[in-house]
Amino acid sequence: MASKESAPLVHSEWMQFAPLIILLPMMAFAVILFLGHIFNGHPFWKKNLKEGGLIALPVMAASLVLSLLLISEFLKGNSGVDQIFEQIAWVNTGVWNGGSMIEPVSLGFGIYVDHITVMLLFVASFLCLLINTFSIGYMNTDPINDNRNHRFYAEFVLFCSGMLGMVLADSFLWLFIFWEIMGLCSYLLIGFYYERPSAASAAKKAFLTTRIGDVFLMIGLVMLWDLFGSLDYAVVFATENIDAVAAESAGTLQWALGLMFIGAVGKSAQFPLHVWLPDAMEGPTPVSALIHAATMVNAGLYLVARMFPFFGAESLHGDLDDLAFVIASIGGITAVMAAAIAFVQMDLKKVLAYSTMSQLAYIFTGLGCAMYLANTLDWHHNDKDHYIVIVAFGAALFHLFNHAMAKGMLFMASGSVIHEVHHAHHHLHHHDDHHDDHGDDHHDDHDDHHDDHFDAQSMENMGGLASKMPITATAMLVGSASIMGLPLIGGFWSKEGIIANAWRVAQNDPRFLLPAMCVLIGAAMTGFYMSRMWFKTFAGKPNNEVAAHVGPTNTWIKTPLFILTFVTLSSIIFAGMGFTHWASDTEYSFLSERNLLDGIIYEMDHAFANSDIFFFILTYIAIFMGAIVGPGLAMALYGGKLAEGEEAKPWMRPIIALSAWFNDRFHFDNTALRESTLATALENRLYIDEYYDKAMINIVAGFSNKVAETDAEVIDGTIKAIESGSQSLSTIVRSMTTGSARDYILMVAVGTLALFLLIWGVA
Amino acid sequence: MQDWISMPLVGFPLVASIVLLAFVSNADDAMRKRLSNPIRMATLIFSLVMLVITTGLFFQYFGSLSWEGISFNSYNYINRYNWIESLGIHWTVGLDALSFPMVWLTTFLLPVTIIATWNEKNGALYFPIVLAMGGALIGVFVALDLFMFYVFWELTLIPMFFLILKWGGKDRKYASQKFFIYTFTASVIMLLGLITLYFFQDPVNPLQYSGSVTGRTFDIGEITQHALNENGKGWYLGANIQKILFVMLMLGFLVKLPAVPFHTWLPDAHVQAPTGGSMLLAGVMLKMGAYGMFRLPISLFPHALQYFQLVLMAIGMVSLVWGAVVCLGQTNLKKMVAYSSVSHMGVILIGIATMQPMGWAAALFMMFAHGIISPMLFAVCGAFKHHYHSMEIGAMRGMAKHSPWLATSMMFAWMASLGLPLLAGFVAELMMLIALWYFLAAEGWSVFWMVGPALVLAITAGYYLWSMQRTIFEGGDETQPPESLHGEPVPDITNPEKLAMIILAVFTIVFGVMPWIALDMMHDWTAEIFKGLILPILGGFNGGA
Repeated sequence: MASKESAPLVHSEWMQFAPLIILLPMMAFAVILFLGHIFNGHPFWKKNLKEGGLIALPVMAASLVLSLLLISEFLKGNSGVDQIFEQIAWVNTGVWNGGSMIEPVSLGFGIYVDHITVMLLFVASFLCLLINTFSIGYMNTDPINDNRNHRFYAEFVLFCSGMLGMVLADSFLWLFIFWEIMGLCSYLLIGFYYERPSAASAAKKAFLTTRIGDVFLMIGLVMLWDLFGSLDYAVVFATENIDAVAAESAGTLQWALGLMFIGAVGKSAQFPLHVWLPDAMEGPTPVSALIHAATMVNAGLYLVARMFPFFGAESLHGDLDDLAFVIASIGGITAVMAAAIAFVQMDLKKVLAYSTMSQLAYIFTGLGCAMYLANTLDWHHNDKDHYIVIVAFGAALFHLFNHAMAKGMLFMASGSVIHEVHHAHHHLHHHDDHHDDHGDDHHDDHDDHHDDHFDAQSMENMGGLASKMPITATAMLVGSASIMGLPLIGGFWSKEGIIANAWRVAQNDPRFLLPAMCVLIGAAMTGFYMSRMWFKTFAGKPNNEVAAHVGPTNTWIKTPLFILTFVTLSSIIFAGMGFTHWASDTEYSFLSERNLLDGIIYEMDHAFANSDIFFFILTYIAIFMGAIVGPGLAMALYGGKLAEGEEAKPWMRPIIALSAWFNDRFHFDNTALRESTLATALENRLYIDEYYDKAMINIVAGFSNKVAETDAEVIDGTIKAIESGSQSLSTIVRSMTTGSARDYILMVAVGTLALFLLIWGVA
Repeated sequence: MQDWISMPLVGFPLVASIVLLAFVSNADDAMRKRLSNPIRMATLIFSLVMLVITTGLFFQYFGSLSWEGISFNSYNYINRYNWIESLGIHWTVGLDALSFPMVWLTTFLLPVTIIATWNEKNGALYFPIVLAMGGALIGVFVALDLFMFYVFWELTLIPMFFLILKWGGKDRKYASQKFFIYTFTASVIMLLGLITLYFFQDPVNPLQYSGSVTGRTFDIGEITQHALNENGKGWYLGANIQKILFVMLMLGFLVKLPAVPFHTWLPDAHVQAPTGGSMLLAGVMLKMGAYGMFRLPISLFPHALQYFQLVLMAIGMVSLVWGAVVCLGQTNLKKMVAYSSVSHMGVILIGIATMQPMGWAAALFMMFAHGIISPMLFAVCGAFKHHYHSMEIGAMRGMAKHSPWLATSMMFAWMASLGLPLLAGFVAELMMLIALWYFLAAEGWSVFWMVGPALVLAITAGYYLWSMQRTIFEGGDETQPPESLHGEPVPDITNPEKLAMIILAVFTIVFGVMPWIALDMMHDWTAEIFKGLILPILGGFNGGA
């Protein structure tokens, strides 16, 4: 069985505070909940502490600072893997393996830092802080949320604690534990407006769908535990332990990892467990930004990325390629499916939700391909292969980074739009009300809450906002460009890598043509739906009066948008710093020997002037599809000038002008297409949700009702039958007690005779 | 602390409650009303004193056990009162890592129950009965004498019977009788087994006991030691008798647990029982079944346990899955929670049937964790009944708006029961799954046996989330209070109820985050019993032939 000595223990000054990264938000959870309960509605609590928002903010800032210190300490040490302190034994128990001994087993908690941790840790803590800032601007200005925001912030910090814990945990077990805590927070936050039936049902759907994945994950973990006798990374990733398992049960290991992957599919909303994510948009927008775009949905990716050492192990060479194919294919299928559904969505947040699904699928494809390469190439000995594997894995992780930043920003920007549209609507409505009906103030109060006729999230109610919300429009533009993979911006650097690697694998293994085609087509589709979203929202004339009255947004909202725009735009710097080579391999690690400028030039050269003719052509096909075909179509359909007298910022002007030109030149009538069967099917999310609901109602509910009936009638019925049987028996016996001497003499006689016969018979 | 400490833990609440009841029974209604508050305070203080004592026992001894600190069939705080010496009946009490958590749990739940049902009607009678219930339960757990074990076992029925009959719902008469007769019938079978155990001697090496006229003893320690020696050589009492006795004893315990198909008394009893009754019934009384299994049939008849291992596994699996699926089909909140208990008790049985130290530790921890979580579940159901006068899931919507405390408590308890990590129930479920996997691997069984327990994880989440969605959530701006409120304003739970919920929630978290507090001693005990009892049989060494 496994030994635990393989992990080096590094104690450094800052690292001993690492548990605080998790514990601080967890404590803040209790504090905010408690104070919020006591001071609810108090003006100081509301104005000065923002109902807990300003308690959460410094805590998240502290977490970020500690995380950064941890990261820098780790990178300075450059040791590959750090374990910060001895494990805390959590559960002590024993198993018997058939011998004469009981083997003690301990499930412990510790902190484990490697290159994947570092990446996710930064993404999570950075976005948690920014979205916390955004929340203060978003949640506290909405009258619907009055006096319940402390619940929001409490659950928010608990979520952050769960996410950071998951990233820092040193075993698959604790990964799972924090994973579930995130699931709980997701449930609570989606159901933040619990009184809305749609929100309550979406929360339940999210929890249950991910739970189904978790069930498989749990079985996978148990299998893995059986193979290694532990779930600690230090043990399961140790080469000698992997070798031992590989020699005997490589097939079982593939099953275990496959089951764990199903958990990841649920958490990261991939086909066929994707149905919860669009509904999850019922939660407040900061929640969508943080949990359902930037962090929690990455948990599944993180889990798969964690499995890399198995795929990369020399002794498992070629044993896990089927699983790698499954991972890549699920990614490919989801990428296209989600992008297609995004074509027809009218709800701003739903477009982004499907986009999230699609982009996560890209990362899954990237990971699957990297895993395939690691599993089939001789990358331990061949330098060229080594480089290929590192770059493939790095591309997937870098896309995770880019996507998290861009999608977090997009959601916040969309939230800012929705927020302002809502306000504009409210303002107009209020104004009208006063005009028409002076006395009906009470009615007005009710309208604060829900207005069934007006949907502030629908793009039908937007249009031409570019001039009214410049920062938001810019952020949205940069974010969209990053997701689309427009050259030089954000996601471009990683998406090209994913597409290139998918095709590289497809050259070796024709099965991979499926995901490879999917990601290539998906690039064009992404270009279309993201552009469509931007033009429908920000270009053209306002669609109605509400959109015409939208005003700029507040500072709390602007700040994170501004920062993230900057981060997304400077993606090339990150790429130059070696983010594309992100793997637990010191040779190609972060901040390698190369200086920044060399790195950037290298990345540029690699992207635009690839020496391999196949990849050179592929790059330009991808750019053509993602940056010209998709956006071009969107411009032709939805582009247009702003209203008279409205001026967009100079950097947005050419884009709007271009879209107007495209619209004039190439506009075509797409009514027939919009009313086709396919479009209807897409609007109904390909009927998948419907089938699931039907299965739930007919099969599960029907079956359980039958079982409950059986329980009441057969099992309890038997008991009742015995009961009534004994009662009627006693009635018969009782009726024999007639009180008449003649009857008794008869009974005595019969009884004596019977006894006599019995004894005679026996004798 | 003194060795005799367990005796007052049993005797004091029983005597105190008898005195109080005798006192109250002479009083008229007005007097009873006036007495209700002092009696409530008195019982609360009594139960708190007991809690302090058992907590003291933890810090003095059980909290600092080490692996070698105990061995199987050795007890601490042993004391013996000779009662009917000629028959070998003594009131022997003692604690080990199997019984101590249960005793602590009982003393913990007593004050919590009293607090949670602070405003129960007819309190002058109610609280002494609750106290008596606690005494009888502790009596079962500390008894180291078969005779006294049975006496207390049956004694627990009496206060519970009256709790259901006097404070129950509409069908309380039917439910209390069903409860009494059903479990009593089962314990009569168990009694037959116990008597056989007393009289029947091992044919090879009879137990020589000089302390009594009959030459027999009821002493559990003596019998266990003897059985341990004999089982090492072969079947103690002979193969057939051991099997028959095992089945007889197990029947009694399986009904108490309860396991499918002997479970139908439970939903009836729970639905009709008052909140306090349900809390104690689910919290401790069900665990008497599991406790009894470990104490007698498993300890005495390991061969038979191995023989019936698959039967137990099957019963456990069926209970787990059946209970969960039936839950999905329930419309009554309390009935659903009652069936979820059946499902969770299936976890205990599976843990036992794995015959792994880890599985047994999982079973022990499940007993303990469920003992904290299920009272909270029933306290929530009780609050629904008490404040809304309805426990029908479909009868209301959006109650969280009016009763945030109740909604929060409900959500917490529900989440704990569905096995959310870092709450007490998760540890037991995780360990059970791992042990089950080991069992399957050892038996060479297919992985698909995992599907049942795994599915239950999802089903459990399903019915709990569904019931929350339908009661405390939704409803829009205009919530729909249940019609049983007749348009009155919707109340939230009272302060004592809040306090009880907080206590239960805190301990659920404490034992979820730091399971080792209770688990370490349980693990030590299971490791020892496994080494002493099962390994000689399974491992085939130590004179196994």
